[in-house]
Amino acid sequence: MITVMNVSKRFGRVAAVDDISFEIQPGQALALWGSNGAGKTTLIRCLLGVLRFDGSIHVNDANVRKRGKLARSHIGYVPQELSFHEDTRVAGALSFFAGLRRSDLRRCTQLLDQVGLGGQDRKRLRDLSGGMKQRLALAVAMLSDPPVIVLDEPTSNLDSEGRSEVVRALKVLKDEGKTILFASHRADEVMALAARVLVLDAGRLKRDTTPAEMWSGADQVRTMRLCLADASEAAAAQILRDAGHAVNLNGRGLCVNVAQDQKASPFRDLARAQIVVRDFELLEDYPQPEQGS
Amino acid sequence: MSRRLLIVLTATLIARTTFATTQPSPRDSASILAMIDRAPEGARVLVPPGQYSGHLHIGKTVSLDGGGLVTIDGGADGTVVEISAPGVTFSGFTVRGSGTRVEREPAGIRATAPGVTIEDCVLEDVLFGIDLKGAANSRVQRNTISGKDLEPGRRGDGIRLWWSPDCTVQDNRVSGSRDMVFWYSENLTVRRNEVTHSRYGLHFMYSHSTTLTGNVLRYNSVGIYLMYSNNITLTGNTLISNRGSSGYGIGLKDCDNIVLQSNALLANRVGAYIDNSPSSVGSTGIVRDNFIAYNEIGILLTPNTHDNVISGNGFIENEEQAGVHGRGDLTLNRFSHQGRGNYWSDYAGFDQDADGIGDLEYRAASLFESLLAREPSLRLLVHSPAQQAIEFTARALPEMRPDPKFIDPSPLMKPPSVEVTALLSSSPRGMALSAAGLLLAGAGALSLFGRSPRLPHPAAIAGRESR
Amino acid sequence: MSAIATKPAEILRSPSFAQATLAFARRELRDALVSRWFLLYTIGFAFLAVATSFMSLAGSGSLGFAGFGRTAAGLLNLVMLVVPLMAMTAGATSVAGERERGTLIYLLAQPISPRELLLGKFLGLAVALSASVCIGFGLSAAVLAWRAGGTGVASFLMLVALTCVLATVMLSVGLLISVCTRKAGVAIGVAVFTWLGFVFLSDLGLMAGTIVFKLRVQELFTLAMINPLQAFKMSVVTQLNASLDVLGPAGAYASRQFGAALPWMLLGVLLAWGAVCLSLAAVIISRRSPA
Repeated sequence: MITVMNVSKRFGRVAAVDDISFEIQPGQALALWGSNGAGKTTLIRCLLGVLRFDGSIHVNDANVRKRGKLARSHIGYVPQELSFHEDTRVAGALSFFAGLRRSDLRRCTQLLDQVGLGGQDRKRLRDLSGGMKQRLALAVAMLSDPPVIVLDEPTSNLDSEGRSEVVRALKVLKDEGKTILFASHRADEVMALAARVLVLDAGRLKRDTTPAEMWSGADQVRTMRLCLADASEAAAAQILRDAGHAVNLNGRGLCVNVAQDQKASPFRDLARAQIVVRDFELLEDYPQPEQGS
Repeated sequence: MSRRLLIVLTATLIARTTFATTQPSPRDSASILAMIDRAPEGARVLVPPGQYSGHLHIGKTVSLDGGGLVTIDGGADGTVVEISAPGVTFSGFTVRGSGTRVEREPAGIRATAPGVTIEDCVLEDVLFGIDLKGAANSRVQRNTISGKDLEPGRRGDGIRLWWSPDCTVQDNRVSGSRDMVFWYSENLTVRRNEVTHSRYGLHFMYSHSTTLTGNVLRYNSVGIYLMYSNNITLTGNTLISNRGSSGYGIGLKDCDNIVLQSNALLANRVGAYIDNSPSSVGSTGIVRDNFIAYNEIGILLTPNTHDNVISGNGFIENEEQAGVHGRGDLTLNRFSHQGRGNYWSDYAGFDQDADGIGDLEYRAASLFESLLAREPSLRLLVHSPAQQAIEFTARALPEMRPDPKFIDPSPLMKPPSVEVTALLSSSPRGMALSAAGLLLAGAGALSLFGRSPRLPHPAAIAGRESR
Repeated sequence: MSAIATKPAEILRSPSFAQATLAFARRELRDALVSRWFLLYTIGFAFLAVATSFMSLAGSGSLGFAGFGRTAAGLLNLVMLVVPLMAMTAGATSVAGERERGTLIYLLAQPISPRELLLGKFLGLAVALSASVCIGFGLSAAVLAWRAGGTGVASFLMLVALTCVLATVMLSVGLLISVCTRKAGVAIGVAVFTWLGFVFLSDLGLMAGTIVFKLRVQELFTLAMINPLQAFKMSVVTQLNASLDVLGPAGAYASRQFGAALPWMLLGVLLAWGAVCLSLAAVIISRRSPA
């Protein structure tokens, strides 16, 4: 369904994507794994043909460089965050893309229902939550019922509730037999959706593997939520980052990734800075390997 | 198909018109001559209606009346009607078809004796129209003259007076000729004539002591041009859109004691052009109470021109209100008379004591105009924001301000009111319609696409699909 | 694999060139309608046009002459000042703004080509600007009809039409600026500077050049004509006066030299500006990264 051959993309002297080749079979769900700056987003943009690149990409036998419009018609794209005019109403945005995708308005209504936005069509985009926006983006991607769905970290700006909504919707698509390519740095998503993982690092393809192989259990990582006594979470996060931990501050507390056998190390680092941890909680989450935060 | 129809129609039309006009076939002008010969001296001769061809020479004092139904056609050769006896009256004829060779000066009607009256005639397709040579005390009135369709340089004069003093030329309408011109003819009365699409509407050469009143000159190269002619009064004339290569409403060259009063000079290239007038010591030029509006230049004087008294005029929205033809200023002329200056539409002063006279003097100082005087081709950039920018700079920075061309010490707060006989006015319907049309077009274009779409209600879809 | 995955390519829907272009044009127009800039421009232009008409009619005093001829000069000045600014800033913000907000990349990820997007934006904005111009002139025409009668209707409509052409041409210039810049703020800055160049600097330069280098009339005319604003002005003047004699020796030279071809030549210069800028913009938007 998707064939990527020797694709490179340079921005000035930096190679954002460096000679990457792979193939995706129809119906396969593939995750692009890597830290920020590894080249995931660039690769996706090349795939969509919105960036000029060296090498060749075919989507459903359409050459992206030569017949970009045709290739894109096979792809539904979900960005990291739906960016469209904030004043537009849901109906306006969806019907605009329906025009570009040559779908009709009835399909718009159906899709809104399907992604759980039924009855929200008069809302303006700025009044939507992050999760609703991503589900709207999903609806846009599915307007013409394309065989390929490409997602660029679709859940990175969402809370866990929003995330699970999106993941649920994607599972439905996967079960329908769509070919799915998505970039992520969340292990739970990858394990839930992908059959295959491509690990990118500094623009190069490091590993072509499966989620099962990737997280075989040896050095498991747990995510821990810390409740601080009085100090500011931002300061604490900085200290933890300086100490080499992967930290996530997302408004629902300070979350830090720790190795299974090193769970006390954050407390030690914080104590050194006179920050008292009042409570902590181990999150029921998929293990997450080390990564640049 | 339609072309064929057209040909048939045209053919029918031609056949009909020729049928109508050639029946009865034209008579020889000699038959008129015979009637004149039979008539006694001073008698009134009524010419029977119809077409006459050939030249007519009137050598006897008679009053010849065509009653408006007689046409004399010269067959495009020479002068059509010649009057050589004094006191002849020639009225109510249509005269057409003079020769075309300008050096022979073929005319529609030429009079060479005094006391002639030519009135109510229509002259068409003639090189010169009415030509008076040595015909003093004559009257030329209520004639309509249209010249041959030639390039301006090869046309003849609509009406020409040559050494014909004490004549009256009034209520004539001339179009498409060269000039209505007066040579060496004094004490004339020239009034209510209308000249359009000609070179010089009224042209005076060495013709003194005349009053021009109520003439209307439109779309000529120059409206009224006086040269080397003294003691002339122009009042109540209307000069509109005379904008040929010189394009003056009124031009004066080396004339003494001219009075320009209560004329309307509108939308000419130059409203009034004064070149070295007055030229003799002790004489003055008076430019008073004229309405000078919408010209490129309201009044233009050559730098050496002096001793004009310019007062009571309304200078309204001329691109350049008063200019110098070349470099220099206008300070040798006075822009105020007995405490009354002129109305200037760009005057920015005020009148606190409400005496009708502005409390600040009007200074004609424009940086752009002084640039134009230096480099006339820069007029290409007129009407542009850059011009405004330059004027603004000059206003903001006094050191950039040029010396004033002249100063009106007592500018008027109100323009003079002038009776204008031939105004371009029309019903506002067209403009109102355009207003409505434009507003509709604007709103329509927007509302056509402006509505944001509504999605169909899910229930409606469900209903349709269940069926 | 399922039926969807093996769906043959031809069933898949992508819009035709016209459909995509029209979709963007419509969206642009709709956005313009609810946006503040459009409202501001329309109200501003209408106010200025009406004020100019009133002011130039006030001078005609008791005569009731004037009609359109002189109002034209005032409106002409206004149009040359305001319309290019409106059109260029509207064009400049459009693509650069989308790029800055990150919407451009999302739009280009749809089955459309960048050229369709650009052309659609161009059409939508051109209609919006023309509508704005029409509304302003419409109100001004109402004032003229009320105060001055119906002289010069044809000239007036010609001025409106040429102004719409000018707006469209300057819009292309704005779009060219827009595709070359990353941020809307920068694009507006460049547009304003370009506007300054068209409106003031080039003319002032010409004036200085004429005085210092003693340019001949044909050189002055040619140089002036290259400026789209001057070409527009001369077009309007030829429509109002049937010749360029009004514009002094250089104008007279042009009238004599080119005769009946002159209005077409001037219109050609205007349209060439529009066509060249739009084509360049189309080439650049296809080559540049949308983010």
